[in-house]
Amino acid sequence: MTITEYFELVFSDYTLRTITLGTAILGAVCGMLGSFAVLRKQSLLGDAISHAALPGIAIAFLLTGAKDSNVLLLGALISGLIGTFWIRGIITKTHLKSDTALGLILSLFFGFGMLLLTFIQKQPNANQAGLDKYLFGQAATLVEKDVWMMAIVTGLCLIVLLLFWKEFKILLFDADYTKTLGFNTKTIDILITSFIVLAIVLGLQTVGVVLMSAMLLAPAAAARQWTNSLGVMVFLAAIFGAFSGVFGTAISASQNNLSTGPVIVLVAAVFVIFSFIFSPSRGLLFKQIRIIKNRRDLELYKTLAFMHNIAETHENIAHPHAIKILNNFQGFTRKTLQKLVERNYVTLNGNMWSLTEEGFNKAANLYNQHSNEDE
Amino acid sequence: MSSAQIEIQLIASVVAIACAIPGTFLVLRKMAMISDAISHSILPGIVIGFFITQDLNSPLLILLAAVTGIITVVLVERIQKTGLVKEDTAIGLVFPALFSIGVIVIAKNANDVHLDVDAVLLGELAFAPFDRLMISGTDFGPKSLWIIGTILLITVGLLFAFFKELKVSTFDAGLASALGFSPAIIHYGLMTVASVTTVGAFDAVGAILVVALMIAPAASAYLLTNDLKRMLFLSVAFGVFSAISGYWLAHWLDASIAGSITTMLGLLFLAVYLFAPSKGLISVMYREKQQRTEVSLLTFLLHLKNHNEIEERHVNHLNEHINWQKVRSETVLDLAIKNNMITIENEIVSLTEKGNEFTSKAIDYIITNEDAQIEDMKDDFFLFRG
Repeated sequence: MTITEYFELVFSDYTLRTITLGTAILGAVCGMLGSFAVLRKQSLLGDAISHAALPGIAIAFLLTGAKDSNVLLLGALISGLIGTFWIRGIITKTHLKSDTALGLILSLFFGFGMLLLTFIQKQPNANQAGLDKYLFGQAATLVEKDVWMMAIVTGLCLIVLLLFWKEFKILLFDADYTKTLGFNTKTIDILITSFIVLAIVLGLQTVGVVLMSAMLLAPAAAARQWTNSLGVMVFLAAIFGAFSGVFGTAISASQNNLSTGPVIVLVAAVFVIFSFIFSPSRGLLFKQIRIIKNRRDLELYKTLAFMHNIAETHENIAHPHAIKILNNFQGFTRKTLQKLVERNYVTLNGNMWSLTEEGFNKAANLYNQHSNEDE
Repeated sequence: MSSAQIEIQLIASVVAIACAIPGTFLVLRKMAMISDAISHSILPGIVIGFFITQDLNSPLLILLAAVTGIITVVLVERIQKTGLVKEDTAIGLVFPALFSIGVIVIAKNANDVHLDVDAVLLGELAFAPFDRLMISGTDFGPKSLWIIGTILLITVGLLFAFFKELKVSTFDAGLASALGFSPAIIHYGLMTVASVTTVGAFDAVGAILVVALMIAPAASAYLLTNDLKRMLFLSVAFGVFSAISGYWLAHWLDASIAGSITTMLGLLFLAVYLFAPSKGLISVMYREKQQRTEVSLLTFLLHLKNHNEIEERHVNHLNEHINWQKVRSETVLDLAIKNNMITIENEIVSLTEKGNEFTSKAIDYIITNEDAQIEDMKDDFFLFRG
């Protein structure tokens, strides 16, 4: 199947439509919530939570013996939340730092989950096959019910975000101030964390434990480069996330043996790289251009200052000098000289240069721009 | 115990020791999550190495994977230095991308390659004794024991050679560079050891267990001691204990050995987290409660000192006025009476001479913040012990 075939099929084929819609919604909700994770410097929380959800899935299966995805996700949600609050407990009650707490919960919960999974696999219960799809995710197993579930959670999340927008925003940028204003920061905090856990749990089935953190981070990190406004960032992140989902599904559907999760992550990574380089205000490309331009200006003014020094020794500032004098000076090139002529600071006459009135004044005031502005 | 069982426990213990040593420094340098990143992002290195050599135990494969580990660290630093995102976001972006590349490469060549993502991530210690090192027909024991043993020897050698440098640069990076130890060399040296250890251990125990073995023993040890040498020793001991007890747990449950070892590490950490003598949750909460009571006591005594009027010192009034819940006011009153600081006559509270003196000293301390004022109070009160 080629990409164009995919786009023709996406509206008619049930499976493709479901998967595309599912990954798009997932990408959008992850981008939205990921913005908060990135801005709160909790980027790796997603990684830890997605691993911490595994034992919950296994225990839910052990207790119910059924492979109903809602029950399993409920288990994942509970164990993800336990992991999150334990992480917080470790950070606030001991001197262990957040990275240690995250790494601990991530590996310990995941290991325990693996123990339970292998324990389940050895049980004489033929029903357990497929539990390990939560490790690496299988977008192909999405059915309409799952997509509805994702859509409902996304809608819920959107409503809560809009309702508490002001609180979320102020909590992000000045938590102490929020407290003094009398907002219950703990509740807001728990609310946003719970939604992040919920989004991760929803994504487990699609992209799996390992890649879930990238789904949360990449769209948000890309969106951050284009704006300084939280609203715009959340919106952009949702768009980037949704597009990563759609393009990732399209690419993986058009090739053999390409699992959807990793492709979605790589598409999101491309968004990030593009944003890092080409964003107008923060991007690396424009930053480099600005640096080069500044350096050139500096050389130009160095030459001008040097000329000013020579011209000062003469009564007539327009007294012509040989270009040769400038040879001792490194900032000088034909090009910079030409530029100075263009700005009307210098006049060239054959091999002789002379400073104009304007150039002289400019050079004299080069180092006290501040006092100039004050006048 | 069969010889295979002994060998498995031996391999698990050696892996645990080899992980605990770099893990201690990672935890102290607040770089624990780097080990998680490395453990995932070495996948493409392993895959490429495997395509070239077709052998999961080849040294080239370990080398390539270790190089990928270093590339991860360099990439994270590069991204972080651009200032576009914070360090944790940089880590979270790099390793899933590299991991995805690895997964895709495996999937694209799944038909002719015997390499499983599950195996890389989760490992299977039970199979380790079957892959033996044979030299001209003689059996020298399991291959993975040799690999991880060599890595452990090198790690221990480096630890002894550079202990001072590691110690100084971990606790005072500024001093270390002033003394002429290059922070970059120590940083990348540590990263190299961590990534070589991860690679060496992955096919025996899997990537996730490597992370657990690096972080959990060190974190548990850190809650018990502030001494670097003791912390290293404790980490190693915890690692070995979990390795062996984990093996028997797996044996009993008939489940994954790596998962069982991690579970033992988890239980161990939970126990230390709750019960560690001075930094455990219970002792921290007890201390906090004690401090709250003592602050209340001090407020209460100050109130008494400031008010000579009888109505201000009536027990009922104090309850209303200071607005404490009944339970706490009783605790505070009990504490004050026990310390002979107040007397209660006809429900009127008054300061004793000792209480008066104590309060004056406490005020002096609060105003001047000079420790000398309260030397003799330190024994009785948490509050002043700092």
